[in-house]
Amino acid sequence: MKRIPKPVFFIVAILILAFSFTAVFGVSYYVGDNKETSLKGIFDIRWGTDIRGGVEATFEPADGYNATDTQLDSAKAIIETRMVSSGITDYELYADYNTDRIIVRYPWKNDDKKHDVEAAIEEISSTAQLTFRPGNSYSETTIGSDGKPVYSKPTGDTETVLMDGSYVKSAKAGVDQEASSSNNSQYLVYLEFNDEGAKKFADITEKYNGKIVSIWMDDIMLSAPTIQAVITGGKAQITGNFTASEATALANKIQAGALPFKLETSSFGSVSASLGENSLSAMGLAGIIAFILIGIFMIVMYRLPGVVAVIALIGQMGITIAAISGYFPAFNSFTMTLPGIAGLILSIGMGVDANVITSERIIEEMRSGRTLDGALDRGTKSSLSAIIDGNMTIVIVAIILLLVFGPTNILSWIFGQSTTGTIYSFGYTLLVGVISNFIMGVGLSRVMLRAVAGFKFARHKWLFGGVKDGK
Amino acid sequence: MANNFVRMTEEEKLLVKGKPAKDFVGHRKIFFILSLAIIGIGLICNFIFGTTLDIQFTGGSMIKYSYTETKDFKLDELKSLVQKATPDDVVTFSDSKDMVNDKNVLTVQFSGTNTITTKLQKSITKQIQEKFPDNKFVLEQNSSVDATMGFSFLLKCLFAVAIAAVLMVLYVTIRFKKIGGFSAGVFGLVALFHDIAIIYFFYVIFRMPIDSSFMAVALMILGYSLNDTVVVYDRVREERKRIGYKADIKDVFNVAATKVMRRTIITSITTITAVVIVYVLAFIYNLDSVKAFALPMIIGLVSGCYSSLCIAGPLWVMWKKRDKKSDK
Repeated sequence: MKRIPKPVFFIVAILILAFSFTAVFGVSYYVGDNKETSLKGIFDIRWGTDIRGGVEATFEPADGYNATDTQLDSAKAIIETRMVSSGITDYELYADYNTDRIIVRYPWKNDDKKHDVEAAIEEISSTAQLTFRPGNSYSETTIGSDGKPVYSKPTGDTETVLMDGSYVKSAKAGVDQEASSSNNSQYLVYLEFNDEGAKKFADITEKYNGKIVSIWMDDIMLSAPTIQAVITGGKAQITGNFTASEATALANKIQAGALPFKLETSSFGSVSASLGENSLSAMGLAGIIAFILIGIFMIVMYRLPGVVAVIALIGQMGITIAAISGYFPAFNSFTMTLPGIAGLILSIGMGVDANVITSERIIEEMRSGRTLDGALDRGTKSSLSAIIDGNMTIVIVAIILLLVFGPTNILSWIFGQSTTGTIYSFGYTLLVGVISNFIMGVGLSRVMLRAVAGFKFARHKWLFGGVKDGK
Repeated sequence: MANNFVRMTEEEKLLVKGKPAKDFVGHRKIFFILSLAIIGIGLICNFIFGTTLDIQFTGGSMIKYSYTETKDFKLDELKSLVQKATPDDVVTFSDSKDMVNDKNVLTVQFSGTNTITTKLQKSITKQIQEKFPDNKFVLEQNSSVDATMGFSFLLKCLFAVAIAAVLMVLYVTIRFKKIGGFSAGVFGLVALFHDIAIIYFFYVIFRMPIDSSFMAVALMILGYSLNDTVVVYDRVREERKRIGYKADIKDVFNVAATKVMRRTIITSITTITAVVIVYVLAFIYNLDSVKAFALPMIIGLVSGCYSSLCIAGPLWVMWKKRDKKSDK
């Protein structure tokens, strides 16, 4: 059989352990008091609200109002603004256009000790108050969860309300036609007022011509444009250095003031943060104990291949954790839920299985009288097809689940947009786990096994789980 | 007659570690009766108790409070207080203890298929806290679900499983052409249904509500059982080649199953150990959601490795032999 140079064992093993170490603990350093994370670890994993604790709610227009897609987007923008301005980073927000539902999930903030679910949900879904106010004085600046400043609480002149959002007929994002022809496209927001609004707005623009009139949602400032001319036709534009998405976001928010419906809470749920903390520590402890027991068991059962299997399993865990935490910049971090843990357990089971199948085969070949090298050769070869076929069927299941329950949502034409969610997490961890099993349990553990067999001390069948030599 | 001749000369090939292989196919009646008995008990329980669907699927509301127990605390007073607040709903209560934090946990379930409003929930919580100030009632968890959403989710899960099942049969058909792939795939599917039925009836017998963790468990067991079945088929394919195509498929299967058995048991022991640890810790920390997810998983894991060796295999062998007879 082809020998693999002995040092390869150590190189591979050290690489796997080093990678897994960074994947688990992450790499971060302190600049002053600020922690800078250069590689994300297990503590950066976003846990779903079912594990960590948090709020989940579904809203729909009250009284069965049939909302258009734009109206729904607008209602979603209200919730988004409230999430961002209250500093909640990892909220999930979906709009389901088929069933007119908006779904939001977010974890408790660390400093939010009270965890008042009912108040939180009423606050999120309350009707947005859109106002036009003179000037742009505010008393509070905070950093929103998108990293941009949020100006809130109007003061001075700005406390007076010139008109409210009910006069807005529509707000749309668009491209400035003149500017776009000069190859420098300029995004803007088109505003249209209803008849009464047009009159009011004409008065306002006359009074405040050349001055700032700011637009507010609740007590958050959305935009502070300067009036450039008296606008009488009821149609206005807001220009600025908008990107396409900024213009759309602003338009959606302004439109919110003109929504003809209230949001109703059709379902809501919460898990308290203390309960969440409990489940996290229980899961963590379970993971560590289980891993140690499995490790001991594998080493006792299979000796040297057992050691190799443990290293490969550590590597498999490392890759899976890395793919969930966002260790690789190319992959976003992933929200881990209870079904995600089920997927993880299954993929670890598959990893153990790959090593067990191979080791058992090697023992079997040694029993039938082959030499150590011959047994290693035949054992690894003949076990390959079982491992590959087993894993491939799992890959099929995982991919189907990802397609059905993920963003692609291939069955949305039957079941609607909103039926994604937690099962996606199962498919994701399973797929990642099985792929890393291919790399570790199938690939690198075989390399290590052959390399380690080159050492003189290792040339005993006993070390590979066989009977003592000479018997 | 030709069969016998092959067996005589090839007898050695049918030995595993110098001993005859375990007779899986011969004992099939015991296995089938065992499985059918469990499914039968499940069916009877299903008729008596019915299936309890979690509020995730039926709609409804649940609130969970933690509190510290004091001497003069009367659960009955609390019950009538809550019932008064929602006269239309049938309210059920369950009380359990959290050993780690030394707290009691009270679960209040509302029967109505509609969700309770945030206002009502707030007022109930407030009333309880005011009436029993010494017990420090804290809202730990609540869920309040609209019925239509849950049901379409359930349907979608079933649909996804159906697609995955069809593709899996297709894969097995192609990969195991040598041993009659299509029938192998179909009986692999039988094993999957067997396992999911066992988990389902486990939920029914222990009257646990079917919720989204049931879906996750069912999917996990589906994957696990599938892998087990494929590993067994892989060995059958290999032994078929080694022993020869003329040998009785029953003997080939017995040899393959006997050789694979050690691997199946070891893999299952490790996986089951891991899940048992999860269960034990969830029990200590009193995490209902995790407990409700780990226990059926343990049952499913046992069923998963049992079904591929004792149900799918023997059934497939019987099918194959029937095939042969009809050929002649």
